[in-house]
Amino acid sequence: MMKKDLSIEFCGVKFPNPFCLSASPVGNCYDMCKKAYDTGWGGIVFKTIGFFIADEVSPRFDILNKEDTPFVGFKNMEQIAEHPLEDNLRDIARLKKEYPDRVLISSIMGANEKEWEELARLSEKAGADMLELNFSCPQMTSHAMGSDVGSSPELCRKYCAAARRGSKLPIIAKMTPNITDMCEVAIASLEGGANAISAINTVKSITNLDLDKYIGMPIVNGKSSISGYSGKAVKPIALRFIQQMRMNEKLKNVPISGIGGIETWEDALEFILLGSSNLQVTTSIMQYGYRVVEDMKDGLLHYMEDNNIEKLSDLVGRANDNIIPAEQLDRTYKVYPNIDLDKCVGCGRCVISCYDGAHQAMEWDEEKRQPKCNHDKCVGCLLCGLVCPVGAISKGEVKFKPNRSNGRKEKDIIL
Amino acid sequence: MSEKYTESLEKGYTPINITSELSRCMLCLDAPCSKECPAGTNPAKFIRSARFRNFKGAATTIRLNNALGSICARVCPTEKYCQKGCVRAGLDDPIDIGRIQRYITDQEEKLNMQILKKGPANGKKVAIVGSGPSALQASASLAVMGYKVKVYEKESKLGGYLRYGIPTYRLPNQVLDKEIQRIKDLDVEFITNTKVGETISMEQLKKENDAVIVAIGYSYGKKLPMFNSLDNVEVATDFLKRVKEADGNVELPSNILVIGGGDVAMDVVTTCKILGVKNVTDVVYEEFDEFRASKKELEAAQKLGVSIIDGYKPIEVSDKNVVFAHRKIDALLKIKADLIILAIGQYQGNDTLGVDFDKNEAVTLDEYRTSDPKVFVCGDIAKGDKTVVCAVKKGKEVAAAIDTLLEGDK
Repeated sequence: MMKKDLSIEFCGVKFPNPFCLSASPVGNCYDMCKKAYDTGWGGIVFKTIGFFIADEVSPRFDILNKEDTPFVGFKNMEQIAEHPLEDNLRDIARLKKEYPDRVLISSIMGANEKEWEELARLSEKAGADMLELNFSCPQMTSHAMGSDVGSSPELCRKYCAAARRGSKLPIIAKMTPNITDMCEVAIASLEGGANAISAINTVKSITNLDLDKYIGMPIVNGKSSISGYSGKAVKPIALRFIQQMRMNEKLKNVPISGIGGIETWEDALEFILLGSSNLQVTTSIMQYGYRVVEDMKDGLLHYMEDNNIEKLSDLVGRANDNIIPAEQLDRTYKVYPNIDLDKCVGCGRCVISCYDGAHQAMEWDEEKRQPKCNHDKCVGCLLCGLVCPVGAISKGEVKFKPNRSNGRKEKDIIL
Repeated sequence: MSEKYTESLEKGYTPINITSELSRCMLCLDAPCSKECPAGTNPAKFIRSARFRNFKGAATTIRLNNALGSICARVCPTEKYCQKGCVRAGLDDPIDIGRIQRYITDQEEKLNMQILKKGPANGKKVAIVGSGPSALQASASLAVMGYKVKVYEKESKLGGYLRYGIPTYRLPNQVLDKEIQRIKDLDVEFITNTKVGETISMEQLKKENDAVIVAIGYSYGKKLPMFNSLDNVEVATDFLKRVKEADGNVELPSNILVIGGGDVAMDVVTTCKILGVKNVTDVVYEEFDEFRASKKELEAAQKLGVSIIDGYKPIEVSDKNVVFAHRKIDALLKIKADLIILAIGQYQGNDTLGVDFDKNEAVTLDEYRTSDPKVFVCGDIAKGDKTVVCAVKKGKEVAAAIDTLLEGDK
């Protein structure tokens, strides 16, 4: 039996595990949240509440596919809660009463300081453990709210301060990725009174067009809009923003709740290793249901067992120091591909990609249908290994560029 | 009973599962699949087109090469040709190229594409005797090159073995009709119920045309003399024709013995099983490792519960009993059956044309010429394999040979 523990503290609040629903369609009412808790989620960010009541379109989602993989990315046009504020507050109170050991985070969004302050007060009164300030929904029908707010440091600072006036609970400021530098907004939020940052909200997008009607998807009576994109496709963008905050002097220790395309325990661990001590999930739940958390938790426990990790917090931020500016990378050597001809099935894809996308180094034996790397031409980019459909190409011999070994041996290089 | 016979035995792809099969393709360099087809099919190109959602381009690749693309998609023993070279087989299973081709040609039909276009008339005429697959391909190839083509068929319906031999569950008549319609759209003229040598003479065809192609096929099933005394014996081609014309509405006994192990034999045993015959026993001269039938057809027959016994030849018949002896070991097998179907091969069997067929076997394949300079042969009676895909190959080659000869006349 595994004895490891997934519990972790985030902003002084203890979570039984780091996995939370993010503020979205998946945590929209009491029944949904109850089922999520019963399935094992550690916390829930209830779908954003406000005085604004959303009036939604139909249909409201779209997906990006690649070959036979659906849901590479997901587009969502829903705004904040469509239920009346008092119903949401009542649900929050009931959930907290029935699940006192689970964490409930109230996501709020106001149109002005007064609303932010009042929503914070009402959430604390309903029993929420924490607040998340939604500065980042990209599809609001009011420009006084949503990601337009999240790209302004002044507004974020001001609204954090307003929420702080309304409540003493820990405050998380939720960031939009529709911005060049997240750090400036995150710092302003902390200055205003936020205790933590969650990132990222969805990326502004157009996923597909109907080619007969010349309309974006989904079609709403002949038109469509730009709206938020999520799922696996945005994970790299989320990880990049989180790392950039960790590399900023003022943000290197701020608690981060990581969001963006988490579907497996491996995705989750990547967010943790880059500094997230809390995780939020929506898109994989929309595709597969709350049950996805079972294997996220179990997979993480197995990893901890295999790697002798006592507590989850020991993993937080472990990879941050290994992401460095490009100018500091070691450029003194190249790695040649190692082709395992027993595994090679002779498709020649490495040859095509090397010629058309790299340096024409992979040669082809037409008779034997076998690739062979010409070291004189190979630059060690290893595109061949990435396109090989059977994993027959791995990192092989290390070769220092002329006069640059500096006394080091091949084995000194970490591949 | 007949519904099962007319229903496709193998399901086609849906827009969803075609995508996953296309994604399995490794999109090889110098793809081996494209080197294995006798008819020159280029699966690597049309699969790549479909993979990148250019279904019209995929259909064009198939059709320009093969006027019987949607038929071949259904009946070709692909494991002997394109799929044999499939690199994916080194990982798990080869790509189901036939089924992909079927989906693409179905799309071609749904979209009502007209890919083949008749060429500018060159004033030359060709007559074709027979309307089987090689005749159909030759007529299309010639029409595209600008020839005026007339096809003479002795039966009331067109298609030869495609019409009267291949069972409906493998090749529905609508698919064949559509394929022939595409050729008719090239202004090829088809004349049915006309047996050359009887209704119209070979001399007349030669007089009216610049060239005559004889593609009369191996229409007649072989018999073994020892079975002459029995009255419960039927030849496989007759049986298949009888069932197909009746859309499967035939009365069959519950115990049938089939002799033979080629693709025709597999069609017979599978048809029997589909029509509900309880005991179908197939005794085959060859042993399994030298089997002639396509593996796919063999597996389908076995899955339906046909008992296939390999390595035996008939030595004695009496009443409804047939005694077989093993070819190599000392073993006898005695089977009593209500109906015995012989699927031991076909022959040409038409001597009313006055054509020197024997000459053909002696000449090289790419000429298709007889001793008569105006007369060419094609299809099963020409040298080479007797599958539909080879008929297509021969149809294209005979058309090219005629064009070389006649254009050379200028």
